[in-house]
Amino acid sequence: MSKITVPIGPQHPLLKEPLSFLVTLEGEKVTNSTLRLGYVHRGIEKLAERRTYIQNVYLIERICGICSHIHSTTYCQSVEALLGLEVPKRGLYIRMLLCELERIHSHLLWLGVLSKNIGLNTLFMYAWRDREIVLNIMEEISGGRVSHAVNIIGGVRVDINEKHLSLLQESLQELTIRVEEILRSIENDRSFRARTRNIGYLSLEDIKRFCVVGPVARASGLDMDIRRDAPYAAYDELDFEVPLMTEGDVWARSILRILEVIQAIRLCTQIIHNLPDGPISVSAPRRVPAGEVVSRAEAPRGEVFYYIHSDDSQKPARLKVRTPTLTTLITLPGQLKNVQLADVSAVIAGVDLCIACADR
Amino acid sequence: MTIEKTGIKLQEILNLDRSSKKLIPLNEVEITISKQQILLAVKTILKSGIWHLSAITCQQLENEFVLLYHFWKSGGLTLLISLDENNLQIDSICSLVSGAEFYEREVREMFGIEFLGLPNPTPLLLPDDWEGGYPMRKKEPASQEKSNENPLQDKGKSV
Repeated sequence: MSKITVPIGPQHPLLKEPLSFLVTLEGEKVTNSTLRLGYVHRGIEKLAERRTYIQNVYLIERICGICSHIHSTTYCQSVEALLGLEVPKRGLYIRMLLCELERIHSHLLWLGVLSKNIGLNTLFMYAWRDREIVLNIMEEISGGRVSHAVNIIGGVRVDINEKHLSLLQESLQELTIRVEEILRSIENDRSFRARTRNIGYLSLEDIKRFCVVGPVARASGLDMDIRRDAPYAAYDELDFEVPLMTEGDVWARSILRILEVIQAIRLCTQIIHNLPDGPISVSAPRRVPAGEVVSRAEAPRGEVFYYIHSDDSQKPARLKVRTPTLTTLITLPGQLKNVQLADVSAVIAGVDLCIACADR
Repeated sequence: MTIEKTGIKLQEILNLDRSSKKLIPLNEVEITISKQQILLAVKTILKSGIWHLSAITCQQLENEFVLLYHFWKSGGLTLLISLDENNLQIDSICSLVSGAEFYEREVREMFGIEFLGLPNPTPLLLPDDWEGGYPMRKKEPASQEKSNENPLQDKGKSV
């Protein structure tokens, strides 16, 4: 049979961000695919070397529009470790609250993108409608829907007041009902299952070989979550479960992410019930002593990694960022092999790509 | 096996002295090895049950380049290798850790370090027709002046 090569991207209705795939087809079946990154490469690591530690907080937030808060959290906690600062408990709790709200928002956004890609427009509308609840809370707390600028070195910028607490309580209750409804429908819906089951399969061996992290890894049975395995902020004081599935396909990833949303709501509820009193930040010196720091955190898509080398000045000598999407992207050519062309959209959406994160 | 034990075992196998540096936070161990030992070191780490490579960081210091291989299993183990700036070659670890491919390709195009045996040594982030140097090196400017120019700006006036 003759072979045809189809380009998907850099601009394509299927992709929300620029990325380029060259898919080779034999009939309807994908036999080979190559991918190319770099369309939104902004050289953030280089720029960070030219800015002070304080300016970098705002630069780092702009790595990604969906998970901006986890980036600044990881960055701030690395600089705080270098400075030897202890952030007040209340500050850490507010940080965690935003992290978990961001996880809910990211997973619901992703569910919308997946269902749009596989032609389930109703589910797309439901998912994005419910995502608004979280965005409203975040806007109420921080003033921004996607870029929150909540973190500062030494703590957080905004405090949670009574009004926020009652809004949170009300909204989270509503969200729980809606998310459980979404979970019921995707578990039982025949079309959803037909489009996602046994598609984009990754075995546990592949996950380990490619060092994959996050929900994609957990859907293939890899029990790894930085929040539990190496607690940062104050996650060791909270009670939560890490959902795990073994099917390793797009369907398992979908169910797993919704289960994670339910856990994130549980975490938010715990945080607002146990919010400690006291200050929200401490003042931080501008000059950072010499040293090297490694910091990890669990972003919505998995482990995010920061390395900072300080040479006793106001600017970092080296700042390295490794985002979770970089680890899942590398598995895509393997996942696409022997998939029907019509299912390519489900596979690409299934891993939850964030190209802005991957390119930096 | 814990990170600490793996670190000690690694030092025994590679005949290193017992000093390992602690990074901040304290459960991060950093071990300095020579570039000839990289494959053996990675094999030892994989054998002891640590399979997750978080990242490969490259950094340019005064007369050398430093490569950091960050492994993780509930705690971090970092391998540090320094490369002489006149001989920027090292064995690729892709044959052992498939996930290292993108990390090595990024270091290759950003710093100009050659990984011997890298399966697909093509640009990952930079354009195919990139003509500048290696952007992450200290002497490289953060942006090329030409591309900084605003095409809509009136050339006569200063803004």
